[in-house]
Amino acid sequence: MQFYRSHVLVCAGTGCHASGSAELKEALTVELRRQGLSHEVKVIDTGCFGFCRFGPNMMVYPEGVLYTGITAADVPEVVSEHFLKGRVVQRLLYVEPETQSRLVDFEEIPFFHKQQRIVLANCGLINPESIDEYVARDGYVALGTALTRMTPAEVIETLKRSGLRGRGGAGFPTGVKWEFTAKAPGSPKYVVCNADEGDPGAFMDRSTLEGDPHAVLEGMAIAGYAIGANRGYIYVRAEYPIAVQRLNIAIDQARKQELLGKDLFGTGFAFDVELRLGSGAFVCGEETALLASIEGRRGEPRPRPPFPAQRGLWGKPTVINNVETLANIPPIIRNGGEWFASIGTETSKGTKVFALAGDIINNGLVEVPMGTSLGDIVYDIGGGIPDGKRFKAAQTGGPSGGCIPAGFLNTPIDYESLQRLGTIMGSGGLIVMDQDTCMVDLAKFFLEFVQDESCGKCAPCRIGTKRMLEILTRITRGEGREGDTDLLIELGESIKASALCGLGQSAPNPVLSTIRYFRDEYDAHIRDKRCPASVCAALFTAPCTNSCPAGVDVPIYLDLVRAGKFREAYLKVKEANPLPIVCGRVCNHPCEARCRREQLDAPLAIRELKRFAADQVLSTEGKLPSPAAGAGTGRRVAVIGSGPAGLTAAYYLTLKGHRVTVFEALPQAGGMLAVGIPAYRLPRSVLEAEIKSLQSMGIEFRLKTQYGKDVTAESLARDGYEATLLAIGAHRDQKLGIPDEDSLGVLPAAAFLRRVALGDAPSLPGKRVVVVGGGNAAIDAARTAWRLLAREVEIVYRRRREDMPAQDEEVEAALEEGVKLTTLLNPTGVTLSGRNVTGLDCDEMVTADFDGSGRRRTVPSGQKRHVAADLVIAAIGQGPDVHGVPEAALGPRGLVAVSGMGATALPGLFAAGDCVTGPATVIEAVAAGKSVAAAIDRYLGGDGVLAQNPVERTLSAPIIEDLLKREHSQHLPCRERIGNFSEVELGYDAQAACREAARCLRCDAKS
Amino acid sequence: MKTLAELKALKERASKDLALREQTDAQRIVVGMGTCGIAAGAREVMLSILDELGKRNMSKVTVGQTGCVGLCAQEPIIDVMVPGQGRVTYTKVDEQRARRIIAEHVVNGHVCLDWALNVKDEPRT
Repeated sequence: MQFYRSHVLVCAGTGCHASGSAELKEALTVELRRQGLSHEVKVIDTGCFGFCRFGPNMMVYPEGVLYTGITAADVPEVVSEHFLKGRVVQRLLYVEPETQSRLVDFEEIPFFHKQQRIVLANCGLINPESIDEYVARDGYVALGTALTRMTPAEVIETLKRSGLRGRGGAGFPTGVKWEFTAKAPGSPKYVVCNADEGDPGAFMDRSTLEGDPHAVLEGMAIAGYAIGANRGYIYVRAEYPIAVQRLNIAIDQARKQELLGKDLFGTGFAFDVELRLGSGAFVCGEETALLASIEGRRGEPRPRPPFPAQRGLWGKPTVINNVETLANIPPIIRNGGEWFASIGTETSKGTKVFALAGDIINNGLVEVPMGTSLGDIVYDIGGGIPDGKRFKAAQTGGPSGGCIPAGFLNTPIDYESLQRLGTIMGSGGLIVMDQDTCMVDLAKFFLEFVQDESCGKCAPCRIGTKRMLEILTRITRGEGREGDTDLLIELGESIKASALCGLGQSAPNPVLSTIRYFRDEYDAHIRDKRCPASVCAALFTAPCTNSCPAGVDVPIYLDLVRAGKFREAYLKVKEANPLPIVCGRVCNHPCEARCRREQLDAPLAIRELKRFAADQVLSTEGKLPSPAAGAGTGRRVAVIGSGPAGLTAAYYLTLKGHRVTVFEALPQAGGMLAVGIPAYRLPRSVLEAEIKSLQSMGIEFRLKTQYGKDVTAESLARDGYEATLLAIGAHRDQKLGIPDEDSLGVLPAAAFLRRVALGDAPSLPGKRVVVVGGGNAAIDAARTAWRLLAREVEIVYRRRREDMPAQDEEVEAALEEGVKLTTLLNPTGVTLSGRNVTGLDCDEMVTADFDGSGRRRTVPSGQKRHVAADLVIAAIGQGPDVHGVPEAALGPRGLVAVSGMGATALPGLFAAGDCVTGPATVIEAVAAGKSVAAAIDRYLGGDGVLAQNPVERTLSAPIIEDLLKREHSQHLPCRERIGNFSEVELGYDAQAACREAARCLRCDAKS
Repeated sequence: MKTLAELKALKERASKDLALREQTDAQRIVVGMGTCGIAAGAREVMLSILDELGKRNMSKVTVGQTGCVGLCAQEPIIDVMVPGQGRVTYTKVDEQRARRIIAEHVVNGHVCLDWALNVKDEPRT
């Protein structure tokens, strides 16, 4: 009888049969035969295992391994791994869903992993209404120890050694404060707990009082012992009813257990606590105002000194500590000052609790060691920014603090670092803001708050902040005046210097700090009457239009599409952007990211609708219309380069009546549109139609004419051109900067794409292509190589996927086509066989701290890897080819330098687009072309006004507020894309376009 | 409290009580009742838990409360503790989920992995 070393039982029950067990068995038999194992492994049909839900199932004996959900595709792996090498394929194993195998310890959850909980150690674990549970976790041991084994001086000494600083915001050393109070003459003395938490978005103290009230009581009793006080007050907001209730319960329980009251621990020391409810005035968080309020007087601050340590409550020496400070006391007494001092930084010891609020995924309460970086809090603990948006800034210290922009994510959170950045630790509010936040509006919000809360006792705070608010209000209404920003700074500084109390002295901080880091936004509001974040409603008609660099009037043309008026829609777009059919395909659509419909269901497909309207016009008329050229001025302008910036400038200059000639070095017009963006994204016929529409206005194109060679500044002047625009783009590839990169088989991306576009594609069939880089050029190169029948295409990128600058939809499409993406890999050298490339030596990278753009930097992990390649495409950035550009027009970083609206240092010579900014988007090039056209027109004596036709903003059809799905256009199936450059996106049909356009909420129609 | 020893005795008694409760009475459910939890509906969850336990005559299950654990974005949060198993934390619990957690986890011992917070990523299905 044949001996089989292994029996494989394949389930042939009805359930598994339906999920493909017959194919599985067939594949298994074939594969075992192929690998020569059919005499050793026997395949047997068996009945139902009862795991039909996870089928097809397969049991392997003698090991008794159960594979579930196994398909014919898994068979080669199972045969070669398990049957040949004896290694169980873990990923196909059955996982007991009801077992604990997937449960992890709490500390392993990312949210808790980087936290260290001292103050919050009990919060969320014990029942706050049970003193037994507090005692079970060492509660009141610190009080007992202090009373029975330490002198008051020793308690203060321990505190001083711990380095604990006040958690209310100012960070005064707690031990020193206690010492002052202990030594101050006068009796009785008092302990006051400041629980008047008032910063917007802050709730650290509330949660501590609600979750662990006894810790605060114990801390107060220890403070009482240290300074010689027998009575304590907790000043807590009446708006915190749960905290008040739990404090009352805790006080009752502590009294019953004689942990508050007379003769504690048999030492004769007496201490008791009373609550005082505050009515929610922000100023009562200021210690002198708080004391006044406890005494029953109006909550107004008074000048210090004398400090409360000398003359506090009822004129007696008083310690005032914040909730979090007091909650730190028991663990410090239990574990010693040295233990606490071992946590944190040189000058800031221990941990800090933060209330994470705003645009952050894990909204909540976190406690981290001092010195933890802001980036770690926002990304590792906070989970990052929702909806894939970018981090813009974080506000610490509430209305008394300031903001920290993305460039400072590495800042360690401690008192001094924050002060250096112009903000304060504050009590722990941490408001995270994403890219959609307007910093001027933010400053106004905090100033409104301070204005409301100012007690009015001193003039700087009462009147000064009022004046500041008036200025901010007029700025956000588009009525800002030149010099307003400096006026705000001057006012702010003098309020800081002259206000009576902390509230007033810190009130200007949010304004001063946003001016410090975001002055350009103030300038945009004041000079351009523009709110870049589309928040200040008085400054724009609709957020989509406002976020379009070219200012396309989106709602109006969407309305025209909805009404079936495609020609009007196309021409409406063309008033603001001469390339609607191009942008309808390749625009990165910043408009959609700000579409208000996003808050309802999903943003409008604005780009697709623009494309649909343009396609309709082209297919019905056979060509694209353009407005007529303006009345002739007789002036001539030369535009060097026919990319989007050059075309746009030529278009607007023609509208202004100038005669424009476009000089293009390549045999095709379009610049990067023609030789950078591959045809599967932008078909050449479509591009040509749009260029022809510009030609029909009278713009002359001279191809194969290179600036600096075929024409020069002198020849142009001779030929009567009064102004020249350099719009030469950024076609020169940056080098990888690694050894042997000039070998055969290493191609720069822009050169590669240009060759393909001009019909000189390298032969790729059978080759393994590796693209280095993470931008759109890398994706374009990879997808192009895939279309040229490369055997395999892999993108290698040194950062993480979420940090790739490429558009996400492009990355998705590349992956869908089978392009491999390997992140965290950085090439260090080219490997060669003879003169041919065989691959790349790479460093495996790991994430490190944050760079100036707010993205994670990466550093080599020490591990090396070799990536095989027959062709390497380097797509790591481009710069302009400034050959022939006059020296005087050049600036830093190999770019052309311009001042103001696009004038170079040479009279009559202007520049715009990628050659000025470095590689940017098409729509940004269009915007640059517009503004430089206006500048050139003014230079030639025109008014420089590029106005759109006035429109009436009324509703032509009802707004639909029901939840509606965003329409998706058809895409060419992957298998039909191989070996050709057919367009992938197929666009809408008329019904879909109409349905989609009808989703517009018409934010522009105010009535 | 007159001496540290007395406090220590109370601590031992309290710890023993807690341990005893967790061991013999088997299951324990703790509902996060901070302001964040209550605002997100913790009271309703608590009521539905008590109701469900009542319907099932499960008098041995203890129900407790606690404060904010910090994950306010995920409230209401409940912890289910079964002897021999660790603490399982459920997030975004509503009345329906609470009833199902009792039926599946507390009664039948099957952790509802879909709603549990302390679960490894990438479940295999």
